[in-house]
Amino acid sequence: MRRTTGGHPLLRLIGWRLVQLPFILVIIYTLTFMLAWLIPGNPLEQPEGRRPPDEIVQAMEARYDFDDPMTFYFEYLGGITGVDWITGAGSGPVIDFGPSLRHENWTVNEILVSQLPVSIVLGLSAIMLACVIGILAGVMGSLRPGSWVDLVTLLIALIGISLPAFVTGTVLLVVFAVSLGIAPVGGWGGFSHIVLPAIALSLPFAAYIARLVRTGMLEELRSDHVRTARAKGMPERVVIYKHALKNAFLPVLSYLGPATAAAMTGSFVVEKVFAVPGIGTHFVDAVLGKDITLITGVVLVYSTLLVLLNLLVDVLYHWADPRIRIA
Amino acid sequence: MIRQLPLILLLPALLVLVVWFDEPAPRSDFTWSSSSDVFTLDPQRMSYLTDMRVGSALYEGLVRFDPEQGLFVPGAATSWERSADGRSWTFHLRPDARWSDGSPVTAWDFAWSWMRLLTPDTAASYSSLFFPIRGARECWKHRNEQLKAFSERDFLDDRERIVAARRLWDDHEDRFSREVGIEVVDESTLVVHLEQPLPWLLDLLAFTPASPVYRPSVEGWPTADDPDQPWHRRDIPEWDDRAFVKIDPASGRLFQDHRWARPGRLVGNGPYLLDSWRYKRDLRLVASPTWHDADGVACETITKRTIEDPNTAVLAFESGALDWLNGVNVDYRVDMIEQQDLGHRNDIHVVPAFATDFFSFNCRPTLPGGRLNPFADPAVRRAFALTVDRDSIVEHVTRLNEPIATTLVPPGSIPGYESPRGLDRDPDRARSELAAAGWIDRDGDGLVESEDGSLFPITTLLYTTNTPRFKRMAIALREQWETELGVRIELVGKGSKFYRNDLREGDFMIARGTWYGDYGDPTTFLDLCRTGDGNNSRGFTDPMIDAALDEASTESDPSRRLKMLADVERRLFTESLPMVPICQVVDVHMFDPDRISGLSSHPRQIHQFWKVAVDDGGARGAAAP
Repeated sequence: MRRTTGGHPLLRLIGWRLVQLPFILVIIYTLTFMLAWLIPGNPLEQPEGRRPPDEIVQAMEARYDFDDPMTFYFEYLGGITGVDWITGAGSGPVIDFGPSLRHENWTVNEILVSQLPVSIVLGLSAIMLACVIGILAGVMGSLRPGSWVDLVTLLIALIGISLPAFVTGTVLLVVFAVSLGIAPVGGWGGFSHIVLPAIALSLPFAAYIARLVRTGMLEELRSDHVRTARAKGMPERVVIYKHALKNAFLPVLSYLGPATAAAMTGSFVVEKVFAVPGIGTHFVDAVLGKDITLITGVVLVYSTLLVLLNLLVDVLYHWADPRIRIA
Repeated sequence: MIRQLPLILLLPALLVLVVWFDEPAPRSDFTWSSSSDVFTLDPQRMSYLTDMRVGSALYEGLVRFDPEQGLFVPGAATSWERSADGRSWTFHLRPDARWSDGSPVTAWDFAWSWMRLLTPDTAASYSSLFFPIRGARECWKHRNEQLKAFSERDFLDDRERIVAARRLWDDHEDRFSREVGIEVVDESTLVVHLEQPLPWLLDLLAFTPASPVYRPSVEGWPTADDPDQPWHRRDIPEWDDRAFVKIDPASGRLFQDHRWARPGRLVGNGPYLLDSWRYKRDLRLVASPTWHDADGVACETITKRTIEDPNTAVLAFESGALDWLNGVNVDYRVDMIEQQDLGHRNDIHVVPAFATDFFSFNCRPTLPGGRLNPFADPAVRRAFALTVDRDSIVEHVTRLNEPIATTLVPPGSIPGYESPRGLDRDPDRARSELAAAGWIDRDGDGLVESEDGSLFPITTLLYTTNTPRFKRMAIALREQWETELGVRIELVGKGSKFYRNDLREGDFMIARGTWYGDYGDPTTFLDLCRTGDGNNSRGFTDPMIDAALDEASTESDPSRRLKMLADVERRLFTESLPMVPICQVVDVHMFDPDRISGLSSHPRQIHQFWKVAVDDGGARGAAAP
């Protein structure tokens, strides 16, 4: 029986990361808050047009504690950590990010609840699509290196990595939505709205995965255990998928963690081009508008997501290859 | 394979989830889109055009501006009369005006909504437009002082604070009803008393921030026993029984929760009801059965979508998903307009707006850091203005052929106002103006110097980078000024937050600017040039202009008054030149005129959705009949 005093290493890893999380979040909150406060101007003011008289600007600022950064910092911290809820000072939900300063009819919680699932669904769909396309292309290329199939997949991969999403996105829209009329132009709701943005978002990831798989497969196919398997008379399908691909997939697995996070956070351009009401746009718009509460909410939720995703990848890695030591 | 099964099963599970959560919204009778979502549905707090468009569908003020006739027509009021001295206006409310919950719209609704508008706690952007109402400004100031004193006082505990804060609020309410010139004569008669005659009062009352809101809905009152009874005859609930307002014990302010403005809760008196609103997705309106002219509403349902990307918005229009798109802002719009001119399409429309693009001069004596400011001298400003070739800018730079502007108020936009002519292009006169100011090319290097030989300071030209429009304009102006005047211009592009900050601090020499008029009177533009006005970013000050504007404001003969204002504008744009106007702003719209009717092309950009009709001729398979 192998049992160390600290419990299962996997559980220890999970426990340690979860203990770290609140500290990481407080540091991120402090940094985000400081940077957001440095943005000039006032979130309550529109970028163009009439500037209200000073007394109205002051009334607005007082209303949101905008005249005093320290009060704002600590009062807000009480709301987002649930301290207000526990002490009964706040009337809102347990974790309360407060009202959005640029969209006053909504609270940041409501915005996150309505938009975060959209970004997650879009990001995950894109990553799965990228896996399917990337693995197929990578395997096909590696089976006949140097053949035209290989060259074409390499070329497509190059294009996928190089072309920015607003180009591929616009091309997809013009071809499939406007000319062929088989997909809606932008918006969200139902399966038909996911396909085009998911394809546009998946292309760079698919291209990268294809190259990872191809390189890995080329190495694996020349390795001893694959030769042994072939010598045993195993069917080629089993050799490729069970023996070679399983090992060639490991680098892809480690890439999937950050890639999934990037697909969910980095879909700003795709969300914009396809008018997808996801959260990525806030990374730019909320900052430009100095919407401090929304910036904080989005950054904290994503930081949590990132920490958890990285943890998940480490766990998966351990599960896929128990030899890998985790600390 | 078994171990990978959960991963493989994720995909279909996900799709089922998505379809389950997100059914697509049904197509409305009329769908339009704008680049940003509605900011607020609280009419008093509105300041964006998009908000006001939706606001005018949900609420109805006393009067309405009819862009076709250029007249004010009855809204919630059927008739009104003005007293002989022009300082009191009496409004008679429509007997059949109803809130969407069925209760009658009364004069109390307006009195209460305007108190919201004129209370600092609401922090409404447009409050100050309504300060001409008698006593409104004093009451505002008094409330502000009250709050300031409250924040400086010491209290024993929170209970004492709350009691004191509520007493202050009661005091404010009481003072407002006594001292502010909004008089409820009876349920259907309302009198507005003004400090001085206000020729554009009807314009202000037609403005969305003056729309009424329904107090029980805004404050979140418990439901009434008798729904037909107006709220002012009910007992006002205790503070703790009002769901959406409370007095904040920390600041003493009235705190308003905006969750009343949601589907199912929002009660309006306009032609439409709020059916659904999904953040940054869509907002859907349905015709209100309680509106007094419900039979005259053509489109039963209206959807406003939010499409931020200008190119996607045009593609969505092309694909037929949108019936109307405003603010078309893609580079190829110029080519689309050309196609229209050639007769290849008919769905793009250039509509002049109630706005002017200009470039501001910093008129302060010195620049930040104590540097000498050459633009403090009106002769230098005139020289720069005389050099601008507006025709070539609208033809070759913006390529939209906007009506060029030599003055600030868009010509022809205000009935009875005759716009004066400002300075046209005259490079020779420009050079002599510059020479008169002491800037002459003394050493023949093509650059002007002052008497002591120092070069004209390198002039920074500040523009915003959010659209290419202003950068292109700035490049053209640099070229014109450098070649004609012998000065050096340095372009400075900044994001709009930074640009605004620079304007506020007076940290610029020349900066781009645009001004949208708020009401149909020249003062909505000319007040920009008043000493100390919050929007006078130029730091321009001229006691004679201030005095002339004050004098005009007390003139009771409307046509004499407009003439006086035209004189002010002539002076401003032939002599003082705090800014150099370039062109009237245009808005580019897309809609198919054969299908859609009832959209206005009036510069004020007021769109009354209930007048919009869609004629599909059965082509779209509309449900019969």
